[in-house]
Amino acid sequence: MSESWLPAFVAAARSVGLNYGFLLNAFERAAWIDGVVVSIELSALGIVSSLIVGMVIAAALTSGRPYLDRPARAFVELVRNTPTLVQIFCAFFVVNMLISQALGGPQNNPLTAYAWVVIVLSLHYGAYHAEALRAGIEAVPRAMRESAVSLGFSRREILTHVELPLAVRFAWPSLVNNMVDLVKATSLGSAIAVGEVTYASLMIWVNGDNVLELMIFILLVYAALTLLVAGLGTLVENRLRMPGYGQ
Amino acid sequence: MKAARILGALGAAVFLAGVSAAHADATLDRVKSRGTVVVGVILSGPPYGYIDPATQKQAGLNIDLADEIARRLGARLETVAVTPANRVQFLQQGKVDLLIPNMQLNPERAEIMGYVPTPYGDAGGGFITRKGSGITQWKDLKDKTVCVSQGSNYAKPLAEEYGANVKGMPSQPDSLLALKAGSCFASVHDSAGLHLLVEDNPEWKDFELPIATDLIPLPSVIWVRKGEKDIENVLDGFVQDWYRTGWLFEVTRKNRIKITPLLEEWQAKYPAAKK
Amino acid sequence: MASEDILTLKTSPSPRVLPRIPSIVLWIGAVALAWLVLAHFYRDTMSTLWAWAPLLAGGLRMNVLISVLAIAIGTVLGAIVGALELSRGRWIGAPAKAYVQVFRNAPILVLIFFATYVFPFEIRFGSTYLPFPDWIKATIGLALPASAHIAEIFRGAILSITSAQWEASASLGLSRSQTLRWVILPQCVKRVLPPWMNLYAMITMSTTLASLVGVTELLESAKNATNTVNRTDFTIIIYLAVLTLFFLYCYPITRFTARLERKYAFH
Repeated sequence: MSESWLPAFVAAARSVGLNYGFLLNAFERAAWIDGVVVSIELSALGIVSSLIVGMVIAAALTSGRPYLDRPARAFVELVRNTPTLVQIFCAFFVVNMLISQALGGPQNNPLTAYAWVVIVLSLHYGAYHAEALRAGIEAVPRAMRESAVSLGFSRREILTHVELPLAVRFAWPSLVNNMVDLVKATSLGSAIAVGEVTYASLMIWVNGDNVLELMIFILLVYAALTLLVAGLGTLVENRLRMPGYGQ
Repeated sequence: MKAARILGALGAAVFLAGVSAAHADATLDRVKSRGTVVVGVILSGPPYGYIDPATQKQAGLNIDLADEIARRLGARLETVAVTPANRVQFLQQGKVDLLIPNMQLNPERAEIMGYVPTPYGDAGGGFITRKGSGITQWKDLKDKTVCVSQGSNYAKPLAEEYGANVKGMPSQPDSLLALKAGSCFASVHDSAGLHLLVEDNPEWKDFELPIATDLIPLPSVIWVRKGEKDIENVLDGFVQDWYRTGWLFEVTRKNRIKITPLLEEWQAKYPAAKK
Repeated sequence: MASEDILTLKTSPSPRVLPRIPSIVLWIGAVALAWLVLAHFYRDTMSTLWAWAPLLAGGLRMNVLISVLAIAIGTVLGAIVGALELSRGRWIGAPAKAYVQVFRNAPILVLIFFATYVFPFEIRFGSTYLPFPDWIKATIGLALPASAHIAEIFRGAILSITSAQWEASASLGLSRSQTLRWVILPQCVKRVLPPWMNLYAMITMSTTLASLVGVTELLESAKNATNTVNRTDFTIIIYLAVLTLFFLYCYPITRFTARLERKYAFH
């Protein structure tokens, strides 16, 4: 970080009544920048693992086998109709305690608050992805499936080679939407002390009078992150475009 | 489209900042004109502030002090439950007139808030963990995950001086729940409350406070908005009077808090009036 | 497996011998059964929960109040912003679009923090003070993103009506606003209703975020209760109760929405 422009920025901000003094405190500045990095990490990890979860659940939902399809449906309904924050608390306080007990003590439990945020967000948004993918799979034309069957494809091959590639294309806008929501939901990590940007800012403003200043910074960070995800989504959408499908 | 986004961000910031530009009146005048004093208290557990399970009413030292202040001011008491994470903002906004959340005096806080110079007590950080942790002193905490409340003054010394991995939970109950759930190695909060917890509650029998000394023991004071000397002076008179009448020691003991040497020192300054 | 099997299983549900029980009845039955089992085995815990039930009910009332107010404010605001977005004037359309972008891309938790810590605690009108309590601030923190989503829903619905209808109306001599009011909007209602209800369910679940700024809604009441009782079994049960209450409130809404979606899909 350049040494000269930072004090200049802080002084300029002060002249319009904004107190960005925390940027001059090496400890607080490092903590805040760390927060931004953790937000990016959580978003990236969450997006990848939620997509995997989503595909697995979507496969179960469309398997046509009651012993797969029913539990998957129940899971999706449970996840979609309960608050994410309560899910995080339940996981972190209740499930984590039960796991610790089962493993014979917390020292044997490798799951941290960070891990729980990734797990809960992946399952939560995985359920949303699954719904979008299921709709996509159901939108695959019947003729497509029939021709795959006549070519001797097995059910799994049909899913992975015919249905999913098409379904992902159909579902992509909804998937990107869910990813943007996931990025925003990483802010919930602050409730269980995961050091992402909301938490880092909160730890600075609790002992200062710079809430407004930090809020502006946080909003800019999330605006940048969500625009980045949406932008990458459009890029991928264009790459995936097949002649004859979509506009 | 890009221009529209930037414009929007700026517009929203200006709008939100504009709404916030309101100021509170001088506290004492306002208390008098309204007939109500609004005190921010923390309800994180005995002995300072908690909800009595039997009556579901607020109790504890903070509540007793707030009651007495309201009585002396001739005003009705309204308490607002605050957390370490929001108390400073609530005071600065004017949502509360005073803060008695067992909050210690340190230079950082004194820079942004006003306070009553005579303290009503003191507190330092106690360290609670599972029995058999092998920890005996503060510097054993290096790289251990230690939970505190968001806004706790223990966060800084733990992280900067002892190299602990500090996690700020939204409140003390959350931090203790996380300790019980095994997500924190230990929790650090005001020691008096933690001592009561392990003494009173059989659910906490596997936990102990293995470090004998408190972390940064500091005087607890009543906080007001910066620069409001009137209320500071009036309240300072009250607190000195509490020493003189012996009421402070009485209420401190009633809430099962130990009388510390620092309190004795202040008591010596304002000796009890001869009866 | 025969190839026809693959085809038929995918497209039509397996034939049922028993009459179809609505899944909502199944769910409520399952939840009730689970709680009965718990009540049987953990009599003591459940009676403690029962003692705290009035407090929890008060909390839930706050969630419902906040969510209803937030969606009401959000709908009015969103309708206005959505209409502005469609306006032809550049200086009206761009700020409206920016508003939608900002409030759709900001985490609701951050907006609630913003409203709570940055807005004043009271508003002065001359010499009278109007209190501005935290739960109303949280409501605004929820209404802002709601309005941005609703603006998008309205805009999408209006744009989904083919331009031929606008042209036909114009040829009948209707003005732009008359066309909007008498031709386009009535058709929009059907398209708007399902996503609007989904949004309401989403807002309802987000009301729990208000607990992080100290509003005593359901989650906060539950935390107060756990803190006071301070027993592990009670902590587990109360979090389960919070999950169950939200599920029972939101699941019927999303089921009904799904039904409406299917019904309107063919029109």
